[in-house]
Amino acid sequence: MKKVLSVLVAMVLTLCLCSFASAEGAAYHVGICQLVQHVALDAATQGFQDALKEKLGDAIVFDLQNASGDTNTCSTIMNNFVSNGVNLIMANATPALQAAVASTGDIPILGTSVTDYATALDISDWTGATGINVSGTSDLAPLDQQAAMLHELFPDATKIGLLYCSAEPNSKYQVDVIRGYLEDMGCTCTEYTFADSNDVASVAQNACDGSEVIYIPTDNTAASCTEAIRNVVEPAKIPVIAGEEGLCKGCGVATLSISYYDLGYATGEMAYEVLTGGADVASMAIRFAPNVTKEYNKELCDLLGVVIPEGYTAIE
Amino acid sequence: MISRLFQIPEGFIVNLGALLNALPGAVAQGLIWGIMSIGVYITYKVLDLADLTVDGSMATGGAVCVMLMLNGCNVWLALLCAVIAGMLAGLLTGIFHTQFGIPPILAGILTQLSLYSLNLAIMDFKANQGINVTKYQLIVSQRNVRTFDLSNPIVITLLFLAVLIGILYWFFGTETGCSLRATGANEAMSRAQGINTKKTKILGLMISNGIVALSSAMLAHYQGFVDVNMGRGAIVIGLAAVIISEVLFGKLFRNFALKLLAVAIGAVLYFIVIQIVLWLGLNTNLLKLLSALIVAVFLGIPFWKANLTGKHPHKGGQPHA
Repeated sequence: MKKVLSVLVAMVLTLCLCSFASAEGAAYHVGICQLVQHVALDAATQGFQDALKEKLGDAIVFDLQNASGDTNTCSTIMNNFVSNGVNLIMANATPALQAAVASTGDIPILGTSVTDYATALDISDWTGATGINVSGTSDLAPLDQQAAMLHELFPDATKIGLLYCSAEPNSKYQVDVIRGYLEDMGCTCTEYTFADSNDVASVAQNACDGSEVIYIPTDNTAASCTEAIRNVVEPAKIPVIAGEEGLCKGCGVATLSISYYDLGYATGEMAYEVLTGGADVASMAIRFAPNVTKEYNKELCDLLGVVIPEGYTAIE
Repeated sequence: MISRLFQIPEGFIVNLGALLNALPGAVAQGLIWGIMSIGVYITYKVLDLADLTVDGSMATGGAVCVMLMLNGCNVWLALLCAVIAGMLAGLLTGIFHTQFGIPPILAGILTQLSLYSLNLAIMDFKANQGINVTKYQLIVSQRNVRTFDLSNPIVITLLFLAVLIGILYWFFGTETGCSLRATGANEAMSRAQGINTKKTKILGLMISNGIVALSSAMLAHYQGFVDVNMGRGAIVIGLAAVIISEVLFGKLFRNFALKLLAVAIGAVLYFIVIQIVLWLGLNTNLLKLLSALIVAVFLGIPFWKANLTGKHPHKGGQPHA
C-alpha cells in the first residue's frame, strides 16, 4: 500500500513538472479583478475586454474574477494572478487596485473605476503618474460642472443633502470637493452617511427631511440599491442629482454622465500600449473619462415637476 | 446554465503547477487568519461564549496600526497599540455582558456595531486607507510570499504563532488562566469555588480580541490597505477554522498548545479550499457558495465515516480545554 502511494505521489509530482514546462502559446494573459457586481463596473470591464479583443483578436486571453464585494477575496484573486504569471492585471475599483499593488511590484497593473490614485495608493507629491507599476483611468467626473448643473436646475435651492456610503473613500473624496463648490454658490450642505444597504432607507429619509435637493456621488453601494432610495425620495418629492448614469436611471433626476464603458475602453487601449508597445506603466499618466454628457431621467422629472432646459439628453 | 457555471478561461491550461504556485499565498493568508482563529478559539471553546465582536475588532487592529504608522510611529509600537485597541473592544463587550446583563451574542453584536463608527473615526472618516509597502517598514507583505528568506510572510507569521502559542500555553497554566478555563467549563461551580466569573469573562474577551486585533494589523500589512469592512464575515472564517481543526485533529492532539496549532492549520485549510475553488475556474460569482459546500463536505466526512463503521463519536462530556 505504501509503495503504491509513493509511486502515485511521484507520478503526480512529475506531472506538475511537465505542466510547468508546457508552452502556453503566444497569447497575452490578462487577469481582471472586479470588486463587486454592478452595472457601472460591469460596463467598465466589458469596455476593457472589447478594446483588447478588437486590437489583439485571439492573441488575448482573459481571466475574469469577481470578489463579490469581499475585499479579502481580492488578495486571494491577486495571488492567483501572480502565481499564474499573467502579463497584465486590470483592477476594477479601489480595493482591487490596492490588493494588486500589495501582491506584485513587477506585473503592470491598470486600474479603472478608481476616483483618486494618490489617496488609494498613499502617494505624496502627485505628478499625474504613479511612478510604480500602476496606471489606469479615473472615473472622477468634473465636480465643478456637476455643482453648476445642480444650480442650473434648482437655482433657488439652498439646503443640499450629500448622501453617500461611509465605507467608500471615493464617495467621501467627491463629497468633500463638491461641498466646496456648492458652498461657494451660497448653499448649505449637510452630509448624510449610511453604513451599508441596510440603513440606506432610514438615512435617505433623514436626508429628505433636511434638504431641498440631494446629491449622490459615484457610490458603489448607492448604485446597488437605487430602488430603495427611489422609494424614499419619490414620495418625499425631493430631486436627486446623481454622480453617474446608473444611479440617475434608478433614482435621480439628472446627471453629468461619464460612460463607464468608454472608461473601460480607454483602459483597454492603455493595456494594448503596455502589452505590445512596451509603454512604461510607471510614467503613463492617469487618464480620465473622454467625454461627459448632461442627461436627465424623463420619468422622474415629470413626476417631480422638474423643468429640464436645453442641452440635456434623456436616458432611455 | 451549466456552461455559465464552468467558465474555464479559454486558453488557461488547468494545470497542477499553477495551483502549487498559488499555495504559498493561500498558506500565508491562512496563517494570518489562523492567529485570528486562535482568538476565536479562546472565547468559543475555552470560555464557551459566542463572541461576535471579532467582525469589528478585525478592522480595529488594522486601523489603529496603519493610522499610527502613517503618522510616523514605529511599527512595533503601532502593533502593540493595535493589540491594546483590540483589548479595549473586548472590554466593551465584557462590560455590556457583565454589567448591563446583555446576553453574550447580543453584547458582541452591539460592540461590533459601535466599532464600525469607531473604526471609521480612527481612520479619519475615510473608509479605506492604503499603506505603501515601499515607503513603510511593513512586517509582512503579499509581495514576498514566494521568496525563500526571512521576509517571507509564512516564516514571520509562523514565528508570531509560535510566540503566541507559547505565551497562551503558559498563561492558561497560571492560576488566572485556570480560573478562565473553569469559568468556561462550569460557571456555576466556578462561582461556588470563589472565582469572580465576571472578571474572568471580561479578561477572556479582552485577550481574545487583542489577539484578533494583532491578526488584523498583520492582515492590513499583508494586503497593503485597511478597509472599514475588512472584518465582515470574520467570525465565519474563525469558527470554520476552529471546527475544522476540531473535526480533523480533535482525537490526535490532546495537548493545548497543539490544539491551538491545529486551529491555525484549520484556517490554512480553509484558504486552500478557496484557492482551489478559484483555480478550478468556476464562475466566481458562486465562490462563496462553493467554498461553503466544500467546507461542509470536509466536516461531514468524519460523521459519515463514523456512521458507516458503526463507531459513533462520543456524545456528551465534550472535553473542555
